[in-house]
Amino acid sequence: MPLFKLFLIFVKIGAILLGGGYVILPIMTNEFVDKRNLVSHDDIIDYFALSQSLPGIIAANMSMFIGYKLKGKWGALAAMIGVTFVPFWCIVLLASIIGALVNNSYVQGALWGVGVAVIALIILTVREMWQKSTRSAYFYAIFVLTLLTLLVFKLSPIQTILMFSILGVVYKRLWEAKQ
Amino acid sequence: MIYLHLFLEFFKIGLFSFGGGYATIPFLYHISEVYRWYSLDELTQMVAVASITPGPVGINVATYAGLKSAGIIGAALATSAEMLPSFFLVIIVSKLLRKFSDNFYVKSAIETLKPISGALLTSVAIGLLKPEIRDVKAMVLLGILLLISWKSKKDPLFYIIIAAIAGVFVTFFPALLL
Repeated sequence: MPLFKLFLIFVKIGAILLGGGYVILPIMTNEFVDKRNLVSHDDIIDYFALSQSLPGIIAANMSMFIGYKLKGKWGALAAMIGVTFVPFWCIVLLASIIGALVNNSYVQGALWGVGVAVIALIILTVREMWQKSTRSAYFYAIFVLTLLTLLVFKLSPIQTILMFSILGVVYKRLWEAKQ
Repeated sequence: MIYLHLFLEFFKIGLFSFGGGYATIPFLYHISEVYRWYSLDELTQMVAVASITPGPVGINVATYAGLKSAGIIGAALATSAEMLPSFFLVIIVSKLLRKFSDNFYVKSAIETLKPISGALLTSVAIGLLKPEIRDVKAMVLLGILLLISWKSKKDPLFYIIIAAIAGVFVTFFPALLL
């Protein structure tokens, strides 16, 4: 894929990235797995967790991971500039107009709708991830423990990711030693 | 001089903020107190605008803060400075992953990341759903969207547009839905 094409895909992704960064996962899956088959579903899921483990903005991190995977460092650069292209000009050119619109009831209504769509998209992504993973006993165990840690103990994503990746690796090491 | 400070401040945000867009707000608050490039009232307004324009909130608010501080050059500087640390980290991590993809520890970590990732996303879904659960209109719209999608998968934009139209419609005819 030519670099410019990749840039344009990221421009589109940036333009439809509404309602917070979490929709980046369904949008990326749609563009790079379903439509173009350039990245595997597994890779997308890994990048999602990795992006949360790194500092910075999750949606931007994920874009750069995919850009790098497809076209190296220039791909990452194209992703970085592409995904911020529309948002940047939106703020620079329209900030004052949008500022006046924030309290408009129709705008509020549309945003309420977008908020519900974001929930639907995330539920669909969870469902798809569930269907596409190979689920071993190990998968279930880590899934349940991580979810409980997040919901009950309210640990941050980064703490949870670090804790369970280390636990997972240690467990696998010990288990292998026993075999 | 303001450009250099602006660049360094936003580079710091990119390097030290974990957990997405809203995690950057305390840093922006600090900048407002130290440099007085924008007031706290303006910051509130900036966050509101950043949440309704397309793009990641954390990037949008950086663009806006840069714009308020030093015009369009400021906006470009703040935006790129905030992403620069991740840019290098993403490249380093990708390279390491490629180089050590056969390594036992890397393989185990990656295998563990999948269920962790699933749980993270599930907790986001639960977190977003919880405050909406008593909003009957939201639940009806959510039910409709899920029904549409269950059989055949569509472009995310499709749901966003349909739901935005539904939202305007609900505002326009509130009586219809009571």
